[in-house]
Amino acid sequence: MTIDPQQASAMLADVDSVVARVKQSRIYRRSGDIFIMWGALHVLRHVLFPLLPIFAQGGWVLLDLVGIAATLLMLRGAQGFGQRSGWRWIALYILFYGFGYVWSDVIGGMRERQLIAFWPTLFQFGYAVAGLWFGWAFLVIGLGAAGATVGAYLLWPSESYGLAITLINAGALVAAGLWMRRA
Amino acid sequence: MDAADEIIHQPVRLRIMAALTALPADDEGLDFVRLKSLTGATDGNLGAHIDHLTRAAYVEVSKAFVGRRPRTTVKVSPEGRAAFQRHVLFLKSIIAAG
Repeated sequence: MTIDPQQASAMLADVDSVVARVKQSRIYRRSGDIFIMWGALHVLRHVLFPLLPIFAQGGWVLLDLVGIAATLLMLRGAQGFGQRSGWRWIALYILFYGFGYVWSDVIGGMRERQLIAFWPTLFQFGYAVAGLWFGWAFLVIGLGAAGATVGAYLLWPSESYGLAITLINAGALVAAGLWMRRA
Repeated sequence: MDAADEIIHQPVRLRIMAALTALPADDEGLDFVRLKSLTGATDGNLGAHIDHLTRAAYVEVSKAFVGRRPRTTVKVSPEGRAAFQRHVLFLKSIIAAG
């Protein structure tokens, strides 16, 4: 059997393309589980807020910490996920929350309606940015969910506005998670 | 290495081996449906190529039921992983020599 350099090069390109697709599919699958978990936490938070007053007094931090710990556990064992990556994820959350806190509590002076839309869109923007590295699905999810959140901010009546934002955010996370698991 | 691996050389089998070796050694492998989408092969064609690789002991096939649905999972063997790496090195050597 004789193979010329052009054929060899084409075969290696084929190999690289398949390997890239397998790796992306593994990222999507793992991220899908994480998205579904965060979607469930959002719904849980909305259910817990009215039932347990402690959750209305900043207890949401506890739920977020549970979410971050679960995310790190789910990422453990992922290909290329070492201790350094773990700290990077924690730093990423701190940066996002820090940025959000500065704008919502220190500089922004936002009203409640704006604040309710601000936090989900901040993280949805993060998903969209992640899409530039990890695949277009993140970009679509981030921009789609942010668009729906802004739409609800502009159009949804006040009485059920908080619930609508929670359902959009949680629904987008769960739907995106299920989609990514099948990708 | 100075010769191509005749079993892996075939394009669909090359893609199957590339997909399976992209997974860590302790991974459970890929299911038939996923392999079909990665290789672009038809059911019958993919099945025939997997049989070929199984006879060469390059892959291991396991069948199980998930709920009521049968699920076929294909995993690369240590021999298959080594053979694929040798074949890739061979292809790289052709490019380097050319």
